[in-house]
Amino acid sequence: MPVEKNITLERPSNIKLICQFTTSGDLNSVNVTWRKDDEILETNYLNATGSILYTQYMFTIVNSKQMGSYSCVFGEKKEQRGTFNFKVPELHGKNKPLINYVGDSVVLKCKCQDCFPLNWTWYSSNGSVQVPVDVQMNDKYVINGKNANETRLKIMQLSEEDRGSYWCHAIFQLGESEEHIELVVLSYLVPLKAFLAIAAEVVLLVAIILLCEMYTQKKKEHSDDGKEFEQIEQL
Amino acid sequence: MFARLASGGSPVTSQMAHKAEPPDGGWGWMVVLSAFFQSALVFGVLRSFGVFFVEFVAAFEEQAARVSWIASIGIAVQQFGSPVGSALSTKFGPRPVVMAGGILAALGMLLASFATSLTHLYLSIGLLSGSGWALTFTPTLACLSRYFSRRRSLATGLALTGVGLSSFAFAPLFQWLLSYYAWRGALLLVSALSLHLVACGALLRPLSLAEDPAVGGPGTQLTSLLHHGPFLRYTVALTLINTGYFIPYVHLVAHLQDLDWDPLPAAFLLSVVAISDLVGRVASGWLGDAVPGPVARLLMLWTTLTGVILALFPVALAPTALVALAVAYGFTSGALTPVAFSVLPELVGTGKIYCGLGLVQMVESIGGLLGAPLSGYLRDVTGNYTASFVVSGAFLLAGSGVLITLPHFFCFSAPTSKPQDLVTETLGTKVPLPSEGLGEE
Repeated sequence: MPVEKNITLERPSNIKLICQFTTSGDLNSVNVTWRKDDEILETNYLNATGSILYTQYMFTIVNSKQMGSYSCVFGEKKEQRGTFNFKVPELHGKNKPLINYVGDSVVLKCKCQDCFPLNWTWYSSNGSVQVPVDVQMNDKYVINGKNANETRLKIMQLSEEDRGSYWCHAIFQLGESEEHIELVVLSYLVPLKAFLAIAAEVVLLVAIILLCEMYTQKKKEHSDDGKEFEQIEQL
Repeated sequence: MFARLASGGSPVTSQMAHKAEPPDGGWGWMVVLSAFFQSALVFGVLRSFGVFFVEFVAAFEEQAARVSWIASIGIAVQQFGSPVGSALSTKFGPRPVVMAGGILAALGMLLASFATSLTHLYLSIGLLSGSGWALTFTPTLACLSRYFSRRRSLATGLALTGVGLSSFAFAPLFQWLLSYYAWRGALLLVSALSLHLVACGALLRPLSLAEDPAVGGPGTQLTSLLHHGPFLRYTVALTLINTGYFIPYVHLVAHLQDLDWDPLPAAFLLSVVAISDLVGRVASGWLGDAVPGPVARLLMLWTTLTGVILALFPVALAPTALVALAVAYGFTSGALTPVAFSVLPELVGTGKIYCGLGLVQMVESIGGLLGAPLSGYLRDVTGNYTASFVVSGAFLLAGSGVLITLPHFFCFSAPTSKPQDLVTETLGTKVPLPSEGLGEE
């Protein structure tokens, strides 16, 4: 049964990984290796006391190539493995698509919980290729963020071409993290058509109600004339 | 022309049918339907508007307190504007007034969909739609009271169920509209929904009751009402009741959170309260008509029960006791609403009902506006909701105490309804037409 631990790392750090293996059998026959993504590393330290096998691996993570999965593996044929997964912090964006109308402005936000990226970049994509957002167009795009752990992309004068996927990238020393935001741009005609349809239905209802009433009143008047004549004749 | 008058009939115009007394059925049920949809479209929309608040806070980057003023302004305009709606209905009949109100309400929402600032929303939804709602709700309920006399409470109870049912339906609907069209499109479609108020207004066929010529125009009615002792006492009673009435709605969830309830069971409890509120309205409506004697006694019964239940809320700590109390509160508070509207025609007569209802709504709104902030203040000062629940229960009990002072309270025979007295006084020797021949179905 694999044992795993997830570690979030932002800055270059000194790392010490420790594994303890307990077995009832012969400890000396157990082969201990440290691996990174199946590549065998040099084991620093090994100690066997009683029935517990203790091993540790110390190293320094400086760049993104050193991030990944590190495992301590006990035994050869029947492996027992403990895995440490090193990742950069993940981002939180909006899960629901943002809906806006032509001519509006919208603010796309990306936030990192308890972490401070070195830099933020924005990309847009219509399909699979990510194209950086052209910040030179000052009357269209404005990028700013109140704190170091969040970024905002303000898009002004929305048009239908602005719809699609937007990606915010948080750049750390040890790698990159990205988040996806969907932007939908509608034209006013979309709800307007629904509005006009419902308004037409209301006009129809009012017409039906008033016409029905005029019809029943006319029927009453005709039957009244008959009764009035009867009463006059009786007198 | 002269010969027809001499034969003992009054001339039948092509616009209105003259009736000596309320029809108690027939077209009245269509008025119930209209009132049902109107209470749904006015109060259901208001209650479900909270769904929009989150969007407004994000879109305009304003605080929640400033955004909630939109609904507050709308409610205040609707209540303070009620006498205007009533006075206009007395003069022109309810139909044109309600239809105009529907157009105003829809126009307010339409303009709101183009809003670029919060002030824009205050004016369009708060002021414009609020005025529209003022012109619809009160005239419709008054019209309903004129169409029914024996089954008045039941009709009112059935009509008011529109409020509760629409809160169930509109909250998810508005949420769906927001996710599909964003708040601008959603407001546009809520405006289209509010246009149905115009269709509801078209259903309000004018009804001319026998005592109408005797009571005069809106100005005279208002002055005579202000000199009417029982009416004033009733208004005071309703204001006291209103002060305590809304507090649990506003503070029940917060009180549950104070007692460490999770959000999901708390929301479920609110739904259960809403259902028992609905049941209470219909049951009380039926009961109000079935029990002989002044309806004010039933109102006193329900108000006293609600007050006692409210005072017991702080004592109940176990979940089962809280649930039982909440359900009982829902039932009794729902039960007092239709009866509260039915007392008025018995006091002032159906001729003055428009102006009467308008005045009552305006004055009792003061109680409603004061109640929630007072309760919040008590909570801030004492640290929990005990004091605010007890105080609101006290207000309700005080209101029911004032009700005892109403005329005929302790009589056991039904008071002869005022329209009959006026008929014999003003019509003299005229032979009333047999209403079956000219009547509706």
